[in-house]
Amino acid sequence: MNKRKLAFYFMAMPAVLLFFVFHTYPALQGIFYSFTNWNGYGDWDFVGLKNYLNVFKDSRAIHAYLFTFKFAIVSTIIVNVFSLLIAIGLNSKIKGRNFFRGVYFLPNILSILIVGFIFNYIFAHIIPQLGEDLHLEALSKNILGDPDLAWIGIVIVAAWQAIAFNTILYLAGLQTISTDIYEASSIDGAGKWREFWSITFPLIAPFFTINMVLALKNFLMVFDQIVAMTGGGPGTSTESISYLIYKGGFQGGEFAYQSANAVVYFIVIVVVSLVQLRILQRREVEM
Amino acid sequence: MKNWKMLTAGAVALSLSASLFAGCSGGKDDGKTHIEFFSSKVENASTYKEIIKEFEKKNPKIAVDLSSPPDAGTVIKTRLTKNDMPDIVAMGDDTTFTDLANSGVLKDLSGSDAVENIQPTYIDMVKKDYKNHDAVYGVPYATNGNGVIYNKEKLAALGIEETPKTWDEFVADLDKAKEAGEIPIYFTLKDAWTGMVALNSVASSISPDQFAEDKTAGNTTFKESYDEVADKLLTLSKYGHKDNMGVAYGDGNTAFANGKGVFYLQGNWAIPELVKANPDVKLGVFPFPATNDPSKNNLVSGIDVLFGLTKDTKHEKEAKKFISFLLDKEQAQKYTDEQSAFSALKDVYQNDPKLEGYKASFESGQITSYPDHFYPTGMNAANILQEFFIKKDKDKFLKTMDKEWDKVIDRK
Repeated sequence: MNKRKLAFYFMAMPAVLLFFVFHTYPALQGIFYSFTNWNGYGDWDFVGLKNYLNVFKDSRAIHAYLFTFKFAIVSTIIVNVFSLLIAIGLNSKIKGRNFFRGVYFLPNILSILIVGFIFNYIFAHIIPQLGEDLHLEALSKNILGDPDLAWIGIVIVAAWQAIAFNTILYLAGLQTISTDIYEASSIDGAGKWREFWSITFPLIAPFFTINMVLALKNFLMVFDQIVAMTGGGPGTSTESISYLIYKGGFQGGEFAYQSANAVVYFIVIVVVSLVQLRILQRREVEM
Repeated sequence: MKNWKMLTAGAVALSLSASLFAGCSGGKDDGKTHIEFFSSKVENASTYKEIIKEFEKKNPKIAVDLSSPPDAGTVIKTRLTKNDMPDIVAMGDDTTFTDLANSGVLKDLSGSDAVENIQPTYIDMVKKDYKNHDAVYGVPYATNGNGVIYNKEKLAALGIEETPKTWDEFVADLDKAKEAGEIPIYFTLKDAWTGMVALNSVASSISPDQFAEDKTAGNTTFKESYDEVADKLLTLSKYGHKDNMGVAYGDGNTAFANGKGVFYLQGNWAIPELVKANPDVKLGVFPFPATNDPSKNNLVSGIDVLFGLTKDTKHEKEAKKFISFLLDKEQAQKYTDEQSAFSALKDVYQNDPKLEGYKASFESGQITSYPDHFYPTGMNAANILQEFFIKKDKDKFLKTMDKEWDKVIDRK
């Protein structure tokens, strides 16, 4: 082997090793334990597929799946609509463009937990106070304490933060489009609306695909926002799957059972992402 | 040249991975015996530090390393899977302790000096929590009281001279407060666990003692045994403020300390927080009057801190010495005073006038343990209760509690 290649192996191997030790190995361990009745300590026995059968019988798990999908789909749509709009705005020739790009990217830098705690305060104190001052009954309560509305609060926070990242991807996509095409279309007399649907949107289709897939995947794994804002409550109305796995597995001492849940969940996310990628890629245009 | 490049790349890669593993090893070499004291409570670290300083002064050959990480329950469980246990654990008599005791990593301390001075009630309470009822895996140290905290000035303003002794008196007082335009009970139900304070208070005096065992054996259900409990919880929920579900524990402490609400369903652990929020607040406590028979209204009290010695400790003698020092009357008194706690020791008392209202129960031994302590942990009782407070559907609540309990037992 030539020495140059050897150097590259030297650089790549530690990463592979670390990835295996801290990611692949624990994942395999989790799959292994999902076939046992291990609590996280002490003795255990193999129980076969019992844990898996119980996951499908568990109404709490099913409820968590429903909530997570509802949340993820709504958030994905909101995030993509808004980040595309913002990206188009930031791509046009406006004053202070770089300043605005910085501002819109800011939420992405903050830790989700901290953002969650800040919004928690806003929902608990600032909005109810505002509602009281304006005599708006609907606003004068903490929406995170209402089982029918709490999920909207989480959507708002999750979207507020996720828009930053997706905007950057759309912005990168918009910058790949050559201005010649726009000039040609304006000579042909195309309006702004026509320009968007016939030129901009088709040309950033690969970015649309990747944004949709990433956003849905990220929202299906929603965890930090729930920890910071509702703890799965009120009741179990905002209990997401990852939060259920964490809470049931560690606090509830059902490590093996929730490992089975995690394996099911992993398969669901992989399948959803692949299907989504397939469908969306089919409608991308080739230049 | 190429060789040199390769070498640096390799060195950088190696040092990167090495730094990830650094910090795992750490032997100290100062001629002292180091014992690790693992505490699961963050609030009392300052008190421990002072006691440790005192101990090290008297025992210059021993150094006590206190570790009190956040989310200690998860930390100790992960360390258990790695076989990396501290010498002494200090934790509440909670499910994490039950798990440790049942998994056989703690030493049986029965018959040792450490147990001698502890009130037998608390020794019995500890023993009940794990399978081997003959052993003492933890020495009870500090205990708590889960009842009602009240605002003394407000109660006086309402013309209520004595704290209620029975359920009817309590409801009458709540009505009086409501009529006067006060918030009778300040609920903080956004944090689901705060609802369990109310549930524990009511259930401990009403539902049968053997409920958990009977329930697991299939001899009873929540539907049979918790009907009255659920009714009384519903009654209580009528006396809250307008956003019971929207206020969290931290905000509730601030609000109650600043004069919102007459009664506050919380344990003594909230008192230091309330005083922090408003040093001038005048507080009192009383056991929750769940029934109309004062002799049945027990104070719910559990073990807030107990000490366990790990089986594999290499420094048993030193660790025992430190535990005895903590159990020394002087140190126990110091802990009790600083932490607004009650002592599990025979002759150490809590003298804070704020906690006067619990004194009679402690002295007469009219105390009982937390009912939810015996619920299977995976059943998520706090959130089911939270939902009950919102939907107020008693039938559904009791059914869900039954169903979730059975499900967790079935999965074992």
